Amino acid sequence: MNVHSDPEPGGDLATPFHKAGTHKQTSVYVYEAPVRIWHWINAFAILVLCVTGYFIGRPLPSFTGAEATYQFFFGYLRFVHFAAGMVLTVGFFGRLYWAFVGNHHARQLFTFPFWSRPFWTEVWFEIRWYLFMAKEPRKYEGHNPLAQLAMFFFITVATVFMIITGFALYAEGQGQGHWMYRAFGWVIPLAGNSLDVHMLHRMGMWAIVVFVIVHIYVAVREDIMSRQSIISTMVSGHRTFKDDRPD
Amino acid sequence: MPDTPNDRIETFYEVMRAQGISRRSFMKYCTLTATALGLGPAFVPKIAHAMETKPRTPVIWLHGLECTCCSESFIRSGHPLAKDVILSMISLDYDELLMAPSGLAAQAVLEETIAKYKGNYILAVEGNPPLNEDGMFCISGGKPFVDKLKRVAKDAKAIIAWGACASYGCVQAASPNPTQATPIHKVITDKPIIKVPGCPPIAEVMTGVITYMVTFDRMPALDRQGRPLMFYSQRIHDKCYRRPHFDAGQFVENWDDEGARKGYCLYKVGCKGPTTYNACSTVRWNEGVSFPIQSGHGCIGCSEDGFWDQGSFYDRVTDITKFGVEANADRVGLAAAGVVGGAVAAHAALSALRRAQQKAVGQSNAAKAAKEEA
Amino acid sequence: MLETPNGYMMDKSGRRIVIDPVTRIEGHMRCEINVDEDGVIRNAVSTGTMWRGLEVILKGRDPRDAWAFTERICGVCTGTHALTSVRAVEDALGIAIPENANSIRNIMQLNLQIHDHIVHFYHLHALDWVNPVNALRADPKATSELQQMVSPAHPLSSPGYFRDVQNRLKKFVESGQLGIFKNGYWDNPAYRLPPEADLMATTHYLEALDLQREVAKIHTIFGGKNPHPNWLVGGVPCPINMDGVGATGAINMERLNLASSIIDKCIEFNNNVYIPDVIAIGNFYRTWLHGGGLSSQACLAYGDIPENANDFSAGQLHLPRGAIINGDLSQVHDVDPRDPEQVQEFVDHSWYTYGQPGRGLHPWDGISEAQYVLGPNAKGTRTDIKELDEAAKYSWIKAPRWRGHAMEVGPLARYVVGYAKGHEDIKDQVDGLLRTMNLPLEAVFSTLGRTAARALESEYCGRLQKYFFDKLVANIRNGDTHTANVEKWDPKTWPKEAKGVGMTEAPRGALGHWIRIKDGRIENYQCVVPTTWNGSPRDLQGNIGAFEASLMNTPMERPDEPVEVLRTLHSFDPCLACSTHVMSPDGDELTTVRVR
Repeated sequence: MNVHSDPEPGGDLATPFHKAGTHKQTSVYVYEAPVRIWHWINAFAILVLCVTGYFIGRPLPSFTGAEATYQFFFGYLRFVHFAAGMVLTVGFFGRLYWAFVGNHHARQLFTFPFWSRPFWTEVWFEIRWYLFMAKEPRKYEGHNPLAQLAMFFFITVATVFMIITGFALYAEGQGQGHWMYRAFGWVIPLAGNSLDVHMLHRMGMWAIVVFVIVHIYVAVREDIMSRQSIISTMVSGHRTFKDDRPD
Repeated sequence: MPDTPNDRIETFYEVMRAQGISRRSFMKYCTLTATALGLGPAFVPKIAHAMETKPRTPVIWLHGLECTCCSESFIRSGHPLAKDVILSMISLDYDELLMAPSGLAAQAVLEETIAKYKGNYILAVEGNPPLNEDGMFCISGGKPFVDKLKRVAKDAKAIIAWGACASYGCVQAASPNPTQATPIHKVITDKPIIKVPGCPPIAEVMTGVITYMVTFDRMPALDRQGRPLMFYSQRIHDKCYRRPHFDAGQFVENWDDEGARKGYCLYKVGCKGPTTYNACSTVRWNEGVSFPIQSGHGCIGCSEDGFWDQGSFYDRVTDITKFGVEANADRVGLAAAGVVGGAVAAHAALSALRRAQQKAVGQSNAAKAAKEEA
Repeated sequence: MLETPNGYMMDKSGRRIVIDPVTRIEGHMRCEINVDEDGVIRNAVSTGTMWRGLEVILKGRDPRDAWAFTERICGVCTGTHALTSVRAVEDALGIAIPENANSIRNIMQLNLQIHDHIVHFYHLHALDWVNPVNALRADPKATSELQQMVSPAHPLSSPGYFRDVQNRLKKFVESGQLGIFKNGYWDNPAYRLPPEADLMATTHYLEALDLQREVAKIHTIFGGKNPHPNWLVGGVPCPINMDGVGATGAINMERLNLASSIIDKCIEFNNNVYIPDVIAIGNFYRTWLHGGGLSSQACLAYGDIPENANDFSAGQLHLPRGAIINGDLSQVHDVDPRDPEQVQEFVDHSWYTYGQPGRGLHPWDGISEAQYVLGPNAKGTRTDIKELDEAAKYSWIKAPRWRGHAMEVGPLARYVVGYAKGHEDIKDQVDGLLRTMNLPLEAVFSTLGRTAARALESEYCGRLQKYFFDKLVANIRNGDTHTANVEKWDPKTWPKEAKGVGMTEAPRGALGHWIRIKDGRIENYQCVVPTTWNGSPRDLQGNIGAFEASLMNTPMERPDEPVEVLRTLHSFDPCLACSTHVMSPDGDELTTVRVR
């Protein structure tokens, strides 16, 4: 049975962190199509960026097949990195736009209720759940509070950081005088010099890699162990619940 | 001998004429200058006019904590020749390295120049002032150098920071900077400062900056960090002749290997060309003979702020000593990913175990219930 | 009146004269003298007035980077610290460099000697002997004749040429903007050259300014730039590719030809200009034989320019190694920089503290702590010194001693040691010069002798430079194109702890770097440089250093115009950025020591 529960009774105020509530239901439409498409495009872009970025910083053994003019291996590698970076950036702004026009779940990524005591209680509960200290997980329509925090810092903040540092580095190639350099060039002296920005950009990559590992693991685990669907939700958009018991 | 410069000032043009150089050759020289500075033909008459009429601009050249490599570089200039700069383009009124008098006689020259050309002289600073020990890690005339620097800066028209020392602090300011050597813009805060970084800067860049100033009587266009755009707007990498090998993925893997002999890209042995703003790959060194990359060693990034404290010159991904950690980004990142990966695996195992237990309990409960029902 | 253990009568009762800044040197220096009523110097105090702390900065860094840091000790003798540093690291880690690397390093080091000597003589030293204002009175024709007489082979000698230079000078002087010549002591009777010799020498000032640009290009060919060319632990960074694919990006025929042409120019200038000028100027000053100082008493040289790669035994070095003490030229002592009893540094009169007086430390075991205090008899304040108190601490320079002796280092010391050892080339040169000038051997121990030794050395180094160029070419012809040994490039291949020493003869004298490596990082780094030796303050026993000794008993024409003081100090080519340094604060003994 598929029941659309949007708008949810009580609205945002009642359940600021989108607990599934106590009403009986088995499925909720959470992730609208643009969010889902963005998620997978973003995932792909991050994969490409990490792989190409890793090898830009630490190149493979030399290719000595042809004269340099007729070989552009490293150039293509960097091109792919830049292209993926552009996709990531456009996607990010698209996603930001959707936060305004999409459903309230679409806004979760960009904010969290810092001043809400129940939110932090829920975070603490989730930590206990992951530490095997809680017997049964709770149900959430959107992200659980801990996930929301992780998303905010490792996706939103980290992506903004990577876009800014990435564009600062890219702008160096565009040259002083280019609009991109005027827009992002300030990053270089702020960090110290170009090498510092490279280093920070690489640290950012590793932060995202660490997040990706945790994210995929938790998604799989929750899919199995929690009371709601996880992975399929990002495909279909529907959150299904495995039981009708209240929280 | 006339007392003031305005009585009888020899212009650059007169100097050239006196050396038997024709008007035609002089104009040709002006064209070359315009080209060298990257200016169009419209500037030729302007340069000619400036050189025909301008008196030589007084320059006070101070030395702080430094190694004199900037002065040494300056005298390597091929166009213009250092002797022509000193004899005909500027009036090098005070420079402890080259000036004839010492002691009181030298101090008198400094006082006189400041008084006579108040607000009209260029201050060129090589090296920087140390601030620890009341500034007495660099003593000049029995007093801290920093006092002298501030005093001369006060009445200067413009200030040039020669080299990495004056611009950023350079080697004596490298961690832990025991003397608290301080770049000059941190002690002179009320004057525009032109930074000409490098350890040392290229000779023709130095003479190019100073002749630009006396020729056009203005500061060159500067970038965000105060460096002249005309020489520091692009990275060495952007104009490196080995760039095609970078794009091709052809690298020197180790010293004196096949790639090194073929002139491949030095990126993997630590070349900092991709992150260093300087004119080495275009202007090159010592009248275009070579530059570090051409001679087989990577760029060490000597014109960048803080280049001494960014790990080994042979590292690709820099050490993050800034965080006080003796490891580079990749090592930290890999370690973090490894730890998290391990934690995830352990967590997964524990989760599976828990789930199996719960299932078993559930089954036995179900079985119990069924039994009871039965 | 006080007699120093090394035999000088010090009397500070006369008028005190302070010279600060001492100009036309590298770095910052102050000199105070006392002159008696006859204007003779009876007490001399030389003070290094800067400190940068490079060795503190080096601690904890990658030993393979140390060359770049130490190279920035000095931009005038650029490269010699880098060479010393890579030698120290290679010594510690047991790295053997290829033959070609040895030849290329020698060429670069010799090139520096020539470059530095020429720049020193013409641009830092000449104005102590030459009066450019007096040159305005010269007759260009007579100058031309003088030029053709002293150096018939030099092509730039026509009257018109000298007239052009003179006109240019005239215009310059008439402009009223005298630049670097302003306030010179131009009417001081200490200047003895006739106008024609002044014009010739001033002309060569400008010629040398042009030439030094060319000379330095050898560094650019092999090291990519000058000042501060690039070096490499294990060899040299420039690969050799004579005729293979991509040879244009390596040392190839064109590069070698360029190097060869510069080497020829060096030899030509030495023969046609530098040596004749020194002889000509020297002849006018032949009675001014002051300033010998320690040169006849105590000289030290580490030796340099190894014939074969990795062989630093004294017999295999083209520049001699040895020590002379107590004025006994018949005995040249062996020098071992590893021996803790030989090279030691003292700080009793330096602005550092060792905790106890009279303590001397070998560079491997150095401790240091800055202690800037003025003596009780100093005049002025802490930040406005009027007069120093040499009975207390008075310099940023430490006092190195060889077996307790204050030593002179530099071209003259090298030549004295070489002469005493019977070094053939050196003996021929010295005897030849003395014959030409009709002077006795004792004349060598003087300010002029120091200046002449530098010129002779430049000439000798020119020949050696050609020799090693030919050797490099011969080795390449024999099929050896290796330039770097990378077996121990990776720090994983290094021992846990190691220590080494690198030695060179810098243009200004004996230079040593001592390094300790632990866990792939620099544990301790110490440089004892030429100007530390020459500019050393007193030690606890009261021995005075080479600068101070050389100034003693020099008569001054006008005590307020320190022409004579500058003349003698400059003859050492002081390099104050080099000399003022400090050891790492930690001098812990290594538990296991690995010495090759």
